[in-house]
Amino acid sequence: MTALPTRKLEAYRYADIDALRDVWDGLAQPDEVKIAAQQRLQQIWLPSGDEIDIRRVEMVVAAGAVVRIFALNNASRYGRYEIDVTMHEGADFALFGANIGGGNSTLEIVTTLKHVAPGATSHQTIRSVLGDKATGSFLGRIEVAREGQQTDAEQSVKAMLLDRGATANAKPELEIFADDVKCAHGATVGELDRNQLYYAAARGLDPVSARALLLEGFVGGLWDEIEGDDQGIAEMARVALRKVAA
Amino acid sequence: MNEEVVTNREAREALAKDYEWGFSSDIEQEFAPKGLNEETVRFISAKKGEPEWMLEWRLKGYRAWLEMEEVDWAKLTIPEIDYQDAYYYAAPKPKPKLGSLDEVDPEILRVYEKLGIPIEEQKVLAGVEGARKVAVDAVFDSVSVATTFREELKAAGVIFLSISEAIREYPELVKKYLGSVVPQRDNYFACLNSAVFSDGTFVYVPEGVRCPMELSTYFRINAENTGQFERTLIVADKGSYVSYLEGCTAPMRDENQLHAAVVEIYAHEDAEVKYSTVQNWYPGDAEGKGGIFNFVTKRALCAEARSKVSWTQVETGSAITWKYPSCILKGEDSVGEFYSVALTNNYQQADTGTKMIHIGAGSRSTIVSKGISAGKSNNTYRGLVRVLPGAENVRNFTQCDSLLLGSECGAHTVPYIEVRNPTATIEHEATTSKISEDQLFYAQMRGLDTESAVALIVNGFAREVLKQLPMEFAVEAQKLLGISLEGSVG
Amino acid sequence: MLKIENLHATVAGKPILNGLTLTVPAGEIHAIMGPNGAGKSTLAYVLGGRPGYEVTEGSVTFDGRDLFEMEPHERAAAGMFLGFQYPVEIPGVSYLQFLRESLNSQRRSRGEKELSGAEFIRLSKDKAALLGMDAEMLKRPVNVGFSGGEKKRAEMVQMGIMDPRLAILDETDSGLDIDALKAVGAGINSIMRAPDRSVLLITHYQRLLDYVTPDAVHVLSRGKIVRSGGPELAHELEREGYAEAAA
Repeated sequence: MTALPTRKLEAYRYADIDALRDVWDGLAQPDEVKIAAQQRLQQIWLPSGDEIDIRRVEMVVAAGAVVRIFALNNASRYGRYEIDVTMHEGADFALFGANIGGGNSTLEIVTTLKHVAPGATSHQTIRSVLGDKATGSFLGRIEVAREGQQTDAEQSVKAMLLDRGATANAKPELEIFADDVKCAHGATVGELDRNQLYYAAARGLDPVSARALLLEGFVGGLWDEIEGDDQGIAEMARVALRKVAA
Repeated sequence: MNEEVVTNREAREALAKDYEWGFSSDIEQEFAPKGLNEETVRFISAKKGEPEWMLEWRLKGYRAWLEMEEVDWAKLTIPEIDYQDAYYYAAPKPKPKLGSLDEVDPEILRVYEKLGIPIEEQKVLAGVEGARKVAVDAVFDSVSVATTFREELKAAGVIFLSISEAIREYPELVKKYLGSVVPQRDNYFACLNSAVFSDGTFVYVPEGVRCPMELSTYFRINAENTGQFERTLIVADKGSYVSYLEGCTAPMRDENQLHAAVVEIYAHEDAEVKYSTVQNWYPGDAEGKGGIFNFVTKRALCAEARSKVSWTQVETGSAITWKYPSCILKGEDSVGEFYSVALTNNYQQADTGTKMIHIGAGSRSTIVSKGISAGKSNNTYRGLVRVLPGAENVRNFTQCDSLLLGSECGAHTVPYIEVRNPTATIEHEATTSKISEDQLFYAQMRGLDTESAVALIVNGFAREVLKQLPMEFAVEAQKLLGISLEGSVG
Repeated sequence: MLKIENLHATVAGKPILNGLTLTVPAGEIHAIMGPNGAGKSTLAYVLGGRPGYEVTEGSVTFDGRDLFEMEPHERAAAGMFLGFQYPVEIPGVSYLQFLRESLNSQRRSRGEKELSGAEFIRLSKDKAALLGMDAEMLKRPVNVGFSGGEKKRAEMVQMGIMDPRLAILDETDSGLDIDALKAVGAGINSIMRAPDRSVLLITHYQRLLDYVTPDAVHVLSRGKIVRSGGPELAHELEREGYAEAAA
């Protein structure tokens, strides 16, 4: 069993090491998922309900395969979603993730996307809403190898803090060795738009409801592309938001 | 505009000449013995005739350094540095005396030509024997030029000296501010620097004064003697303004492999400091051997309300560059800016960026980083924007763009955004691109050869940063970008 | 219904309303006109309780209640509707959801039964049809991708849904073409013409008043009402401009 990481290790820079220590020994090895060529895979990651919720996946996406992951990170103490993806030619990967937390929770989504072949596409959309003294982080590393020409890799990371004492961290990292690529990322941290809040108030929404509604809008859209049954992720996110906004 | 360029050069020359004669030269030993121990530190302090408190400060730094651990997290491959295998003090030594320009490395000459440096100045820069005298006497009346500038500064009350002189002439001022922005224990190289720094610049601009001219290191540092451990301290008192230029576009050749400089800027209420760097470290051969390791700690403290510091840098060359000019935005409504163009070619490695630490309410920061990678080089932007919980209404905007020339180089971005106040608005964008076939074709159709076309496009890419530079530097920087790109295309 | 007495208000420290006095009885539609910068929008925002607008003197009673004692959402629940000059966009939140939650919030505070999803959809379809708007548009996020005219029309649909006692419409006619103008006018007439309802119509141009005949017209200049009259005053202003009237 490898040693418990420290915060000096980049991937654990914002982690709750104490919580990690509690579960480290019993932690399962990362799931290995291989998606075959041209295959389609959709995964919906719901919070397990445990106060410490760690999920680790290593994916290899074969040529032309399409992967969609919808993840809600909402553990009450420490939630860590770790995704390591290797993309082959023409593969298409998208992650839609939300960190929603209050209290003293530490939530993080840590991804490594390796474009090792040409023409693969990856899109990551992350939305975090943190209240009280919660910490929400996104560490997203994109590695484009020399062979990864015509890569299209995008990250859209937005965070909203509701209370002084909450923390938002983002590290959208790019390591690029090919020149014919489209790698853009945007990261913003902000607060609820005051004009929108007033508009809602003028229409009769009390402040708590207004906040919750606008936060829903902020996170909303993450679940739009789910095919079939969403397993309740949209409703769970809504409930989590109301709790945090209260 | 060209006239101005010449005049500044003249002035630089003249003043440098003066300062050279100003060094005390009554010491026999030229070198401290190899290696680094307490004796070395005492030797340096004695050499400079420093007061007791200064020696104590150095020793404190040295002892702290012994306990520190070297950091090694950059994407750089740093060969092990043997700190004992180096000379920590060398008297200002003249460059090897060359008989004529013919004995100068033709590569260097070619660069001088391309930069448009007049022959006489080339001789000076290359260290051709007897050159200095010739240049100064023949071309202009040096004494009057030097006098004019010095008098202007004096009239304005601006203090602009070597730091060694400042320690002797304005000890209270130096004591007050030295180490106030970069404390000795801040990091490994800054700590080393505090023990063995050899020289540097001290600037103090009094309250309400707008420094009447751009201050340049050229005024003060003899071109022949780039210090390895320089320490610069710039203090702008309330409501003052100063623009400081560091560097030179001619390739700075140096046997000293390790450069660990420290630059501290302290800005009082309503003060503004503009610090511009155009640096072209001679990168050694095309294999990258013999290049320079450039580790610099540059930090500004916007200590009081509405203070502002802008860092602008154009970096090319250097085997390994490791510098993060930073701003601590403590004052309310203080402003920090970072504009950077870093160009790497051949086997160069650059890991540069900035840190903006927001402490004061209403503080704002702007970061524009343009990285250009060519050849087999690696170019990394590493930045931190941090907002502390008490910092209300902070605004940050960051734009990081990478341009890759060719398919053998690397461009990397490592931004850290850490926000702990809900009212902050932080925006970060990054893009990666290459020169499109269309752009090249268009330029070529207008009659440009490939190299010129590339230089043109690269300058366009870097324009937002270049326009922050004082005009003279901007022109030199543009040329420099063009030269540094040679061999990168086709 | 609405009684404004000697209202003084500042925006970012600058005084904009300088002793405005006005009474709008129930069952009447009053138009407020005036040159730019007179304080028309400021009046609307002050009545609506928008942050950033500070009342330095004066009082307003709405239905006998002190208006400034109420938070914006309480004013809405009390029956006030503010039609914005520049309606805001809210990406990610559908119009249907936004309006249903707003209405139910109001109903809750009035002790009325909340509407179910289906009931609300029916209501919104009706009101959309009334204003000539395609109900499908309400499935979109609030005002996202709406043209200026569509936004104003949507404001009117909202007014229909909220069914207020007092509507304060801030330059609802700006940016509208003839058809939209007609629809808006018809909407105001059908929704708000009743003995127990009133409208304060803030407008720069006289056009809307061709479709909605006001009971009174007031000229607002430099933060005060400088002149009042019947509907013909609007025509006079159109002909002569504001300078005369404000003099």
